[in-house]
Amino acid sequence: MTLVDATVVAGYTVGDFLLLAAAGFVVLAIGMLYRAVKGPTMQDRVLAVNVLGTNTVVILAILAAALSEPTFLDIALVYALLNFLMAIAISKFTVERGGVL
Amino acid sequence: MIETLGTLGTVRVGLIVAFTLLGLFFSFVSMVGVLRLPDVYSRAHTASQADTLGAGFGLAAVALAVGWEGAGFKSVLLLFFIFVTNPTAAHAISRAAFEEGIVPWTEGDDRR
Amino acid sequence: MWWVADADDAGGPVTNDAGGPVTNDAGPTPRSTVVVPVEPSPTLRATVSHVAEAAADGEFDAIHFVEIASWRDGDPGSDDRSAEARRVLERVSAWAEADLDDADGDTGDDVTVVSALIGADEYLFGPEDYVEVLAEYAGEHGADTVVLDPEYTPVGNTTLLQPLEFALSNTSLSVRTAPVGRPTRPERLRSEATGVRFAAMFGLSLAFYFVLGDPLYWFDWVTGVATATIVSITLSRISFDADPAIPRTPQRLVRGAIYVPVLLYEIVVANLVVARVILDPRLPIDPTLNRVRVIVGSGLPLMTLANSITLTPGTLTVRARDSDLYVHSLLPWAREGLFDGSLERWTRFVYYGRSAARLPTPRERDDHAILQGPDATEELPIAAADGGATGDDAGPEAAADAESGTGDEGVTDA
Repeated sequence: MTLVDATVVAGYTVGDFLLLAAAGFVVLAIGMLYRAVKGPTMQDRVLAVNVLGTNTVVILAILAAALSEPTFLDIALVYALLNFLMAIAISKFTVERGGVL
Repeated sequence: MIETLGTLGTVRVGLIVAFTLLGLFFSFVSMVGVLRLPDVYSRAHTASQADTLGAGFGLAAVALAVGWEGAGFKSVLLLFFIFVTNPTAAHAISRAAFEEGIVPWTEGDDRR
Repeated sequence: MWWVADADDAGGPVTNDAGGPVTNDAGPTPRSTVVVPVEPSPTLRATVSHVAEAAADGEFDAIHFVEIASWRDGDPGSDDRSAEARRVLERVSAWAEADLDDADGDTGDDVTVVSALIGADEYLFGPEDYVEVLAEYAGEHGADTVVLDPEYTPVGNTTLLQPLEFALSNTSLSVRTAPVGRPTRPERLRSEATGVRFAAMFGLSLAFYFVLGDPLYWFDWVTGVATATIVSITLSRISFDADPAIPRTPQRLVRGAIYVPVLLYEIVVANLVVARVILDPRLPIDPTLNRVRVIVGSGLPLMTLANSITLTPGTLTVRARDSDLYVHSLLPWAREGLFDGSLERWTRFVYYGRSAARLPTPRERDDHAILQGPDATEELPIAAADGGATGDDAGPEAAADAESGTGDEGVTDA
């Protein structure tokens, strides 16, 4: 894990940089939360939550690299699967007759 | 400390930084799109595309950072998975909207 | 009265009935002869009924069912295939006779039903070859109409149907597709269970398991084999449309590997364009819904194309209905790119090789329409658009959609 400890600029390592990037993704996710709360339609909310989920996956993966915790990647994988399932399931069950996909 | 990495390591660090910044940029575009665009269909555009690319760059940076052992392979797998599922999910959502009878916004429509 | 003609007989359909094919009285209205290419398909029965009904109503006075041989006489196994084809033809003719007998129309009795196996003396490659054989046969028998079974798949190649329609429309024959319902989705999603599919699914899931686990640890072998078995039992019938075959599957993988960098490049370039539009304070967007008819076949190729379209910014596949894709576009630029059909071309290249990639684009085929805005050429197929009912009161459009079962994207990617 020497790469993560390598310096990028002014004494900050790649690990620090990745942590900062993760924080940036969190801020973006909070922005997305506005759409999830406001709507106005059910599909808007599902969409926003889906994007939020993708962001979460990226945050988890970045944390796995920054903190040298490879198991986080497994959690990210499961989260990605669940995220996809959530989008499909809600799309299917909010529509009459459920003819989606 | 960067001297001990050699040229290849320096390039890799540079790529990690570049990919992360690109990922952040496209995720930012995606967020702006989801907040600004007028209806669910056009929001689905940025949600599926800009965000997929953003996540792709982010995960590519992670794959570079953790190296080509088991963990790196997992993040490549994750990248591939997101590239397949994200557009499919966006399609399912927009299709659900279509089946509910939501008319796509066009120029001159006042709902925003 | 019907005949099963032999393709080997030089003189076309041989009659063994005193009257011969010219038994009909010369009616007041000139009725025509119709040619129906047949293949065993889920909608064959309904197509036959449709043609028989039209004939009983006086539209046709002779129905020719033809099976176009994809093999050549003298090939290994060609006898079996000819025999099988004749059985299909006999069955189809019997159906048509029964339908004509049941029909009330007074003309139902004079309709001639002929069946023939054609094209077995040469190899047929593209849709043009099929059309040539078909047109030749139609010319010999004075037929001027062709009715196609919507599920007609010569050589089991679904991409051939639309090029076939397209090529037929260039001949003097009038073409139409029988308006018959397709089987519902659950039947289409499930395919046959075969050993090859099971083995492929098993191998794939085991490989995936070992990517996540450790192939050198014995416990992972036990759990991996158990998981892979369960997955293959439950999913091998859903995940594969056809058996993975040795030259075809690796070829597709290689061509797919060529496609991925191209797609990535397109995604990045188009993303930059859309990013500029979205970050522009004026937000200069002009979204419309469009319809595009694509020639890629159903199942995995259609999913690949729909997902590629969605991934390329500015276009989003809203619905895949048979081979009509309803695509929402954000910018006129993206819409034009869609109609130019480069992604469609690439998808055909990946799945069917270079020759299929050269088929005409949607713009050349005129298989596209804008459904919204000032340039709209077609109406929006949505209940709310014409002030109709929405939500729980599904309109006729929605009901038809439920029947037609547009589950093409449901095929998993394994």
